[in-house]
Amino acid sequence: MSELIEPVITDINRPFWEGTRVGELRVQKCLACGHLRYPLAPWCPVCLDENTEWIALSGRGTILSRLIFHQSYHPAWKERLPYNVVLVQLEEGPRMFSNVLPLSSQDIEVDMPVKVAFDPEGDFVIPRFKRIE
Amino acid sequence: MSWDKAAITGVGTSRMGTFPGETSNSLAKEAFVNAIRDAGIPKDEIDGLITMPGTTSPEGAKHYLALGELLGINPRIAWSISMGGATVGTLISQAALAIDAGMAKTVAVVFGDAAKTGGSRFGAAAGDGDSWGIWGMFGNAANSALVASRHMDVYGTTSEQLGWVGVTTRKHAALNPNAIMREPYTIEDHQNSRMIVDPLHLLDCCIISDGAVCIIVTSPERARDNATHPVRIMGMGQANTLQKLERDDWWYMPHQKEAISDAYRMAGVGPKDIDVAQLYDNFTISVLMWLEHGGFVKPGESGPFVEGGERISIGGELPINTSGGNLSESYMQGWLHVVEGVRQMRHEGGPRQVKDAEVTLVTGRGFTLNTSAALVLGR
Repeated sequence: MSELIEPVITDINRPFWEGTRVGELRVQKCLACGHLRYPLAPWCPVCLDENTEWIALSGRGTILSRLIFHQSYHPAWKERLPYNVVLVQLEEGPRMFSNVLPLSSQDIEVDMPVKVAFDPEGDFVIPRFKRIE
Repeated sequence: MSWDKAAITGVGTSRMGTFPGETSNSLAKEAFVNAIRDAGIPKDEIDGLITMPGTTSPEGAKHYLALGELLGINPRIAWSISMGGATVGTLISQAALAIDAGMAKTVAVVFGDAAKTGGSRFGAAAGDGDSWGIWGMFGNAANSALVASRHMDVYGTTSEQLGWVGVTTRKHAALNPNAIMREPYTIEDHQNSRMIVDPLHLLDCCIISDGAVCIIVTSPERARDNATHPVRIMGMGQANTLQKLERDDWWYMPHQKEAISDAYRMAGVGPKDIDVAQLYDNFTISVLMWLEHGGFVKPGESGPFVEGGERISIGGELPINTSGGNLSESYMQGWLHVVEGVRQMRHEGGPRQVKDAEVTLVTGRGFTLNTSAALVLGR
């Protein structure tokens, strides 16, 4: 397989990627206004306060939208075609892009309930999702 | 009451297609020459040069500087901005406001790009902090597929309904000798075209092309003395969602409704007053969204509205993209939508002219479902 696209670790995202190794989907919580933020960012986009703690989410959510890629846009993903990409609405509020495992699954519907699954890939553990009943 | 404090007095385009050896600026020069010729004004009359750098323009935000030197222009106002498909509407608004404020008299608004021969791919991964490429999320088609997929699941919109947008606007392109793709196709062809990012097929996606467009904006008084019938700038609007995942209805692009509402309000019109519309069509789904955001149909009803193609055809209830749009004419990032809006208002459409058209809506959008601009133009 071609070289994977891996996270570039920074002071901002380090706790997120350390969390996935121990089975936690973590996001930032603003200590000033309580807003849960994802994408990870250096300050709160609601109140602009920089004081932050990390909390682990339940990992439960629903599918907001789903795509199946048939076209290759990057060598790392070419051999995995066709694969799905989903927009997940997490229970606690944030939304994230991810995949439903297995990557080749196509029977994904909007509002389908999913739960995070921790998927080792290269030197990292990537948060992906599995359908739950 | 409409705004009407500036007017479009000239439009010019380069050839559209694949032109090895040409650059974004050589094509821009071709369009500029055609635009001032159209307006019937000498080059010296241009005292504003505002531009959008092409995807193959190396100058970035200093593009105006390079192009001004090549065109031999030392203008009052000059700048470049980059808002993707919302750039042209925004630049025309800026030109119009500068003219109304007395900061410039006649402004050339220019875009050129050798995207086809330059190999521009529009496939980059977005993301904030971590690249969405970690999860395989790449490219402009995927952003619009996200919209289409949810629209289908929530409202029952079908792939065939998306197909009618492409089939109908291709029919319009067949009436346009300058369109790159003029061969009609059927819904069956659309369904059989290969999947790019499900639910979008190849024939849901715009083409990539080389070309350039120049639009000349001036005061209504000056425009009256020029060679062409002045086209009124009745209303303008711009709105953006600069966040992505942080805005809960980001996928629905709520800002587009705001941009059009503002333009309507400024023009003193509503959807019923629009005789013909040029709706930014990087992908077929985008047209459905504009129909909803423009108030032509209620949310969720755009699919049935376009089905069969009659309502959106020339001669129909709301003819759209009468020159073929990004899907068939040429991918000039919405700049040709303004040119076609102007031609329709001048009644120069020939076989694709919408009879007695007095008011047109022109829309544009860009980036990761982020930017939007709307213009209401009048005869």
